[in-house]
Amino acid sequence: MTDTVPTGVALLLARKREWHRLQAQRPLHEKVRILLELQRQELPLLARQRPLRPWEKPWDVTP
Amino acid sequence: MREEGVVTDYAIGGATAVLFYAEPTRTYDVDVFALLPSAGQSVLVSLAPVYRWAESLGFTVDAEHVLVHGVPVQILPAYNALVIDAIHTARVHEYQGIPVRVVDPEHLIALALQAGGARQRERAWLLLQTGIVDRPRLRALLDVHGIHVEIPADD
Repeated sequence: MTDTVPTGVALLLARKREWHRLQAQRPLHEKVRILLELQRQELPLLARQRPLRPWEKPWDVTP
Repeated sequence: MREEGVVTDYAIGGATAVLFYAEPTRTYDVDVFALLPSAGQSVLVSLAPVYRWAESLGFTVDAEHVLVHGVPVQILPAYNALVIDAIHTARVHEYQGIPVRVVDPEHLIALALQAGGARQRERAWLLLQTGIVDRPRLRALLDVHGIHVEIPADD
């Protein structure tokens, strides 16, 4: 087996890179909204792995 | 904070700073690098004046964080040459009409690589993928501060 990346996969990876670039270009308030959602979704998972620190909670802000 | 002389200068760093340039990554606090007026006079830098100032404005201080409108903010005294450089070269961005000083992407990557660790490397990679990083400037920065990491050519 060679180490080359098939054309189809290379296209997929290029599209993925482009998607990340578009995410990065979103308006800041939109990124803050996503961050708040990430905090809400991840916190229960984190709590199952280890004790949460007192300040680890979703921010009480409106983006 | 700066106008009242509590800090000489400051810049937002860490994952919150990354938010200004790249896609969001999880964080629960805001890191603020600060140059303190007392720095240089003593080996130990006290954050007590910063905490006193925050409490005088009605903000709660909880261990190492100041709670600002529901967001835990950690003030980190500039601890090495790279951080001092990052504060001096920070960019001014606006959030909800308020100007804020934010560490630039090249310094954020250098700081992440200097700190090391999986999450920091991921942060550096996220920033590199945005296409906004000045790679020659980043390489020069890494060289000056003795951070030996190969930065790939832009893709």
